[in-house]
Formats: sequence, structure tokens, C-alpha cells
Amino acid sequence: MKIKDGFVLREVAGSFIVVAVGEAVKNFNGIINLNETGAFLWKILEKGATKEQLIAKLLEEYDVDEKTATADVETFINKLSEAKLVK
Amino acid sequence: MPIYKVADVVFAIKPIYKYTARLCEKYLYSGDEAPEFSAVMTNSDIDAERNQAGAETFPDYYLESLAVFRKLCDYILSCRQGIIFHSSAVAVDGKAYLFTAPSGTGKSTHARLWREMLGDKVVMINDDKPIIRFIDGDFYVYGTPWNGKHHLDTNAHAKIAAICEIRQGKENKICRISPQEMLSVVFNQTIRPVELDKMDNLLSIVDKLLTSVPLFRLTCDISREAAETSYNAMVKNNIK
Repeated sequence: MKIKDGFVLREVAGSFIVVAVGEAVKNFNGIINLNETGAFLWKILEKGATKEQLIAKLLEEYDVDEKTATADVETFINKLSEAKLVK
Repeated sequence: MPIYKVADVVFAIKPIYKYTARLCEKYLYSGDEAPEFSAVMTNSDIDAERNQAGAETFPDYYLESLAVFRKLCDYILSCRQGIIFHSSAVAVDGKAYLFTAPSGTGKSTHARLWREMLGDKVVMINDDKPIIRFIDGDFYVYGTPWNGKHHLDTNAHAKIAAICEIRQGKENKICRISPQEMLSVVFNQTIRPVELDKMDNLLSIVDKLLTSVPLFRLTCDISREAAETSYNAMVKNNIK
């Protein structure tokens, strides 16, 4: 799973946001707010990763148990899929 | 080609229609500075503007004036650290206050309430499409000829003292809000560029704007009390 071309993560005034540029603007014309964990997962997904890899990275970086990490990753990738941000 | 100065940018316009020339008349420039760019208008500029307008239909001369504005904003975003900020911008005692909201919420109405309350003390910088620029560490708002349906603008600029999001409500209330809360508001009230480098320019300007200018949210009706509520908070620094 990988973030589609044309979606970029930026930090603006203390918030993590995703905006569309180039061709992606045709289908998406707003901003998405991400929390810190969301931004962390997003950066990994820019290079591409599986669900299992995301969970592993989350466990490495944050002090969470596997059940919580799995739930968080699943929620996050479901939202990305619904918004058609990943390929 | 006639030369204009808007937001301290000198540029030439070669329009197809007379409307744009009339609209910009107050901003004609006869000084020594050379134009930084020329807006030579073509039918394809008008077609592009028609596509942007969506379902609403506008006459070509009006679309041309919007296309000129788009070219100016594009230049200012790329070269002058400035953006269009859809708002009603007023100045009192040399300081500017910007009211912003989606169209139809009551930006212009609220600015009118300030004029009714404060009379000649209020200078209407621009009632719809002012340009804001970051210059030497401060933000300034500039009048532009694109001045909204009430045609209120002044060829002037002032340092921005506060920005206020307006929402309709039954009770008049104002509070300070965080940069995070204002972010999507600002983002929705400017032209969002398609190119990555310009998007980064925009985000950098918005970042500086939201972290340096006091931000407010006003819930209000249409009354003198509404104007007093925002005036006391934004000008007198007095929030009830």
C-alpha cells in the first residue's frame, strides 16, 4: 500500500495537513487533518508499506500494545482507502 | 498598455473588454517603476475562468476581470509572499481588521455595522478580495479593485491587527481561537494553487499568518451589539 502521487503532507501552524497538488487536485480539493500518529504512518506510506509493517513501526515508535496498534492502523488505512488516497 | 499598481505591484493589463479597465481605474499608475509583468488577456483566459466558475454563468467581460485578478494573485504568491484572502477588511486608526467567512455569512454586513457604529473612523480597505502580504516580518492588507457587490475598496494598505471568522448565531459572542482552528477557514478563503512550489509558498505564508496575527471567532446577529462585541475584543482587547 502506498500514498497516491499528488498528495503531500505538511506541517502548518502546528498542524499536520495533507493537500493535493497537480493532477490530484481534480479529484480532491480540500485539506485533511492528521494527528501526530497519522502523520507518522503517512510518512511510512509515502514509501509504501504493508499493514503488518505499519503495525510494527508503530510498536517500535510508540508505547502501545499490539491490539491498540493494530486497531489504530486499521482505522487509519480504512480512512485512507475511503478517501482514495492510497493505491 | 495601461499600467496599474495593486498591492504595491506594478503591472500592465491588455484587456479585451473595457470593463476591466474601468474596474481598475483607481489603481492606474503613472510613476517611474517598470511593470513587473503584463497581463495580456486572451479568450482562453476567459474560457479557463468560465470553467472555474462552475454552474454559475457570468458575462465574458466579468470573467476577464477575474482572470486578471488570478494572474495578479499568481504573481504575488510566486514572487511577493502574498495571497488573496476572501474577507471584508476594514482599517481603524491605521490598523486593519479582517472578517472572513464563506460567501453569504455576513462579512460585508458586519463591516457595515462597524461603519454605522464608528462612522468616518472606518476605512474600507476592501469588502471582498483584499490581498495580504508578508513584508519585513509583518502582515499588511491591501485594497484591490475586486471589491465585491457593494463596490467598497480604498487604494490603501494597513498592518493587520486581527483576523475574525464570522458565524451566524442568535447570541453575540467572541473568543480567541487557535491557528489550528483557523487553518481550514483561511485555506477555504484563498486561491489554492495546483503546482507544488506555489502550494508550498501558500502554506508558508499561512503558517506565518496564523502564528503571528491574533485570531478570533465571532458568533453574531445583525445588530449594533454584534459590532460592539467584535470591536471591544479586536480593538480594545476586551473579551466579555
